Amino acid sequence: MEPTRIIQTKRRGLPPPLMFLLPWAVVYAAFFVFPFVFSFLLSFLSYNPLSTQETSWTGISNFSRLFEDPDFQQALRNTLLFVIVTVPLTTAAALGLALLLRERVPGRDLFKAGFFLPSILSMVVISLLFKLFYAPTGALNGALTTIGLGGHPWLTDPRTALPAIMLMDVWAAVGYYAVIFFAAFTSIPDELYEAASLEGSGTWSTFRYVTFPMLKPVIGFVVVINTIRSFQIFIEVFVMTQGGPLGSTNTLVLYLYETAFRKLDYGYASVIAYVVFLLSGVFSIFAIRRLKPSYTAAKKAV
Amino acid sequence: MSRSNTIKRLLVITGLLAVFVVMAYPLVWMINLSMRTGGESTIRFYREVWQAGPFDRYFLNSTIVVTLVLIGNILFCSMAGYAFARYRIPAGKILFFLVISTIMLPKQVILVPMYILMQKLHLLDTYAALTLPFLADPFNIFLIRQYLVSIPPDCEEAARLEGAGEFTVLFRVVMPVLKPALAVVAIHTSLINWNSFLFPFILTNSTSMRTLPVGLALLSQGQHSIDWGHMMAGAVISALPVVVAFLIFQRQIISGLTSGMTR
Repeated sequence: MEPTRIIQTKRRGLPPPLMFLLPWAVVYAAFFVFPFVFSFLLSFLSYNPLSTQETSWTGISNFSRLFEDPDFQQALRNTLLFVIVTVPLTTAAALGLALLLRERVPGRDLFKAGFFLPSILSMVVISLLFKLFYAPTGALNGALTTIGLGGHPWLTDPRTALPAIMLMDVWAAVGYYAVIFFAAFTSIPDELYEAASLEGSGTWSTFRYVTFPMLKPVIGFVVVINTIRSFQIFIEVFVMTQGGPLGSTNTLVLYLYETAFRKLDYGYASVIAYVVFLLSGVFSIFAIRRLKPSYTAAKKAV
Repeated sequence: MSRSNTIKRLLVITGLLAVFVVMAYPLVWMINLSMRTGGESTIRFYREVWQAGPFDRYFLNSTIVVTLVLIGNILFCSMAGYAFARYRIPAGKILFFLVISTIMLPKQVILVPMYILMQKLHLLDTYAALTLPFLADPFNIFLIRQYLVSIPPDCEEAARLEGAGEFTVLFRVVMPVLKPALAVVAIHTSLINWNSFLFPFILTNSTSMRTLPVGLALLSQGQHSIDWGHMMAGAVISALPVVVAFLIFQRQIISGLTSGMTR
């Protein structure tokens, strides 16, 4: 094997492996490494293209602003709440759905495809649809009125706006994770179930002592992926509420967007970006560690 | 035994049907809104939003962007994945770790500098801004590298012994073998870029350069925001190619997006 490679590298120009890596390296350096480092510098700068002030070093003052900024703190609280509520809810619902799908019933493939469909739609499409669905004259209030319950202005009431968006996110993501769990079920050896049923194990104890332990790594991975994704929530609130009412649906990435592109405060925006980066970065480390040894396909935040 | 089995199956089917209705109802409602006015069926909203939206332009832009990004990824990620899988590269392990570590990083962290960079390069509002940063998705490199590592390099060695150059080996021998992995790359890349919102939104500012998700989001905030028929027609147009592809390649898409998650 080795001799052929030595011959190859004796040709003129770059050795083949470097030539093969070149397009990726250029894209990666120009559009990832450079912006990434630049963003780090920005966070120590007062950089505002509209301001008459010169761009200047401000040390850590952009960072200390975080602690005195109630809007940031509200966005952080909302984002954390969103993650803490939607991730377990989606995971549990997806597990339940996968358990239902495991039964061999007629039309199972159709159900599976139907549940999966929302996860391939653009979040803009889904958010727009649910903005109207939750509207005072939308389908949800229509249905509630029909069964004798009153309607509610879901997205304009600060108490219900964020929960409404959370439920929509569960709706959009549950099918995707259910299919992942369903696929994981097929890798559990049948012998385990046979043994459990010989022991007279009931439905719940079979789940508790056979299915759940076998599924643990997959559940862990799903939780991590979904957590990373959920920390980045933006499209939903941008399209449906613009962070309102009264900041009750403001999120970190929405606040980052507003700070950068409405207030043109690039330095402070970069600091907020780093908060998002650190929060989901912690979870990325777990994900990468599992990703690396296994032959794995992970879906990124769409 | 068999009776309790029947009851169990009935319960399962009822549960599945209930979830199916909950999942389908908003989508059916969306299509209904886009096709009805005053109790009559109409394609008026589609025609108007297509011409004046202008969703014809958004559709064209999305198609161009996805096509370019797809070609770039298939080419560049095959090259990089092949290099990582088959060659001893100086610091190769570190480089590959860099690739993996960027897969799951939140891209928002480079949003502001990316905007400033594109502005300085005078690339804002061009196809270059919409495509260049996305031409070599690290996930695709990872996927291709892992796939190649699982295949012995016998055919490549044989081709080399017959005097084939490295590029010939890659394009004539390796790429055909890579087909299943490239199918996953294609599904993944098309879907992500067709639905992508944040970067296309930030990096463009004229109507003629908007992609479908961006145009649709702006439609919901402009003067049309109370006009449900047009909005839902725009949403259906944006979703239609994805849904049609899903109906045709259902099995491949589902397994492509979920496979390997379970090892």
